[in-house]
Amino acid sequence: MSVKIGFIVNPIAGMGGRVGLKGTDDVVDKAVKLGAHPIARLKAEEMLHEFSAISVNHHDVVWVTCDDDMGKNELEAIGIKNIQIVYAPKGSRTSANDTKNACKKFLESPPDLLVFCGGDGTARDIFTIIDKKIPLLGIPAGVKMHSGVFGITTNATAKMLQEFINKQLTVGDAEIMDLDEELYRKGEWKVRLYGIAKGIIEPTYIQVGKTCFESVSDDEVKDELAEHVNDELEKHKDWMFLFCSGGTIDSIAKKLNIEHTLLGIDAIYQKTLLAKDVNEEQILQLLKKYPKTKILLSPIGAQGFILGRGNLQLSPEVINKIGIENIIVVATPSKLIHTPILRVDTGDKRLDHRFTNQGYLMVVIGYRLSRVVKLQTNSF
Amino acid sequence: MTQITKRNPNKFLKDEFDELVRNHLEWNIRILESGSKPHSIVNGKEVIMLCSNNYLNLSNHPRLIQGAIDAAKKYGAGSGSVRGIAGTLKIHTEVEKRLAKFKRTESSLIYQTGFAVNSGLIPQLVGEGDVVISDELNHGSIIDGVRLTKADRAIFKHRDVSDLERVLKDADKKYRRILIISDGVFSMDGDIAPMDKIVKLANEFGAMTYVDDAHGEGVIGEDGRGIGAHFHIEGKIDVEMGTFSKAFGVVGGLIAGSQDLVNFAYNKSRTWLLSGSHPPAVSGAQLAAIDVLETEPEHVRRLWDNTKYFKKELNSYGFNTGGSETPITPVIVGDAGKAKELSNKLYDEGVFALPIVFPMVARDKARIRTMMNAGLTKKDLDFALDKFEKLGKQLSII
Repeated sequence: MSVKIGFIVNPIAGMGGRVGLKGTDDVVDKAVKLGAHPIARLKAEEMLHEFSAISVNHHDVVWVTCDDDMGKNELEAIGIKNIQIVYAPKGSRTSANDTKNACKKFLESPPDLLVFCGGDGTARDIFTIIDKKIPLLGIPAGVKMHSGVFGITTNATAKMLQEFINKQLTVGDAEIMDLDEELYRKGEWKVRLYGIAKGIIEPTYIQVGKTCFESVSDDEVKDELAEHVNDELEKHKDWMFLFCSGGTIDSIAKKLNIEHTLLGIDAIYQKTLLAKDVNEEQILQLLKKYPKTKILLSPIGAQGFILGRGNLQLSPEVINKIGIENIIVVATPSKLIHTPILRVDTGDKRLDHRFTNQGYLMVVIGYRLSRVVKLQTNSF
Repeated sequence: MTQITKRNPNKFLKDEFDELVRNHLEWNIRILESGSKPHSIVNGKEVIMLCSNNYLNLSNHPRLIQGAIDAAKKYGAGSGSVRGIAGTLKIHTEVEKRLAKFKRTESSLIYQTGFAVNSGLIPQLVGEGDVVISDELNHGSIIDGVRLTKADRAIFKHRDVSDLERVLKDADKKYRRILIISDGVFSMDGDIAPMDKIVKLANEFGAMTYVDDAHGEGVIGEDGRGIGAHFHIEGKIDVEMGTFSKAFGVVGGLIAGSQDLVNFAYNKSRTWLLSGSHPPAVSGAQLAAIDVLETEPEHVRRLWDNTKYFKKELNSYGFNTGGSETPITPVIVGDAGKAKELSNKLYDEGVFALPIVFPMVARDKARIRTMMNAGLTKKDLDFALDKFEKLGKQLSII
């Protein structure tokens, strides 16, 4: 049976990096003047080349793509023939609008998966239109790749694509992250969670017999995590809980019938919402009334950050007041496969060191089930 | 005929089986017409047996067969009851005394099966406020036993003592009792848990140790006394669990340890209390198996000679046999399809060895798992090796 794969390249992705611009959003002209060369096309072709080499059934794939360097040229360069063009960019230089308009075309007859080549900016533009309607897989070619939809390398992306086509991988939540590029060019990091897309993930298997295994959906794993968190809430009735941002925590909150902000932090007390989408100042105020507090968070994005990328409301002052021993980290096993190391970058070196001294963190991966995961303090 | 109005209560049986068949995940049961022997008749064809757990070929030993006959003649075919009520025969207690002596522990207890030990005893050893720390590749019966407890669970990396220490440090602050559980010999890779180091670490933290030595019993340690003897720490592992169904050639689970452990175990394990006890013939064969191990060391020696020869030859052809240290020798092929093909072709050529594929092992580590038998001759091994070499080349594995 043939599989329909959408394919889109952002030809200008990654151009800022080589010339020290930290992203190409809004500064293409400057990048070109500084001598930036397009790398997206190379990365896209690398991935396609690897995919053709490892996949025996790649002839069954129908590629739905865009004209010129937005997909067609890269596919043809590898000798791929089953191509349908659904969008042609206007003008000689493409922009974010071309990406978005192409995505609107993809939605008219949605492919099974949309493979794109670019960075976090491209992922964000695509997500704005596609939302959760088509699962995404990113070939890393930008300057910043914090989003969870990217393969770690071009080869890893090819392998994921092949395994998706062979139905060995399944669809699950993946974060779209974004960085404020204006601030970043001034030397400031502000990575935030932009939304939750559909990505492709490794299924989780549980042993159900002596040598029998059953694939469980991400949703079932989240049911277990929710049950675990429910026990924690029951055990600590006089504690406040800060439910942080992201898809995993959001699922847990939903399963517990607790109202939750996907992209923000909510304060919960005795299973009811105390305050919604709180900022640092509001958390500090709440801590005066509720000194006994636990933080419930999950790694966000491709690099396994639990603090420092997203959840920026958890400032060093907040964490110091709550105590690092009161942080509960939960993650689905499929997430940990891709992010085997967790990272913190709180902005406070001394606090970061307290995490580093620990070296490892217990992460809850199922109902009453945990394992240690390596922890690094890391500023990218 | 009853008309089904509300729901069809049996529909899922067929639906779920059909689903397994569609995904090629159903068990194809093979019929042995010969008993489990070095040369067995499997589905009507004579093959060299490389996938039974009958490591020492004791299931065919004349003394075991005689032991079964004698016990049946003396005590009858069945035991009449569960152990707790009126089903403890003298021969059951004789086996337990002999086994404790063999294992060099204070006491021992026989369960109906190994699975009955893990699913019956583990949930009694820990409860609310405790934690079980488990090797990530532990056997399914341990996983099921752990699921029945109210304790928290933590996983440590396969055979990684440093990772275990990290978990212990964290657990030390939080829990009442800590139970560390590991397979002794891991059934997929044939590697051995570092029980000496695990016991040392457990002592530092006041944790209890539990080892499932199903594949080590009768195989490793002096005269096949198991993992305690292998590391010279007899009696230091709190619960040594094993089975009579593999190298011992019979059936039945066992624990060996202190008298306190045994008293606790038979009073609390529901599987032990609520299942019928072994038929006398089983106990007779168990007793004879211990006799044979104590008086005929050649079986264990032959098993290891065969294992070393087979591994060495496979490696010399260029096969990857992983990190195995025991008579379980995986022949790692990589691709699942290729592993299945190799297994089918081996069977056609007269060698019986089954493939193990994802998710039982990592996706790119599909393999044929071979298990050595002391009853195979050098000629048999050369025959099997020849087929491995020929097919390995044919399928571009070597």
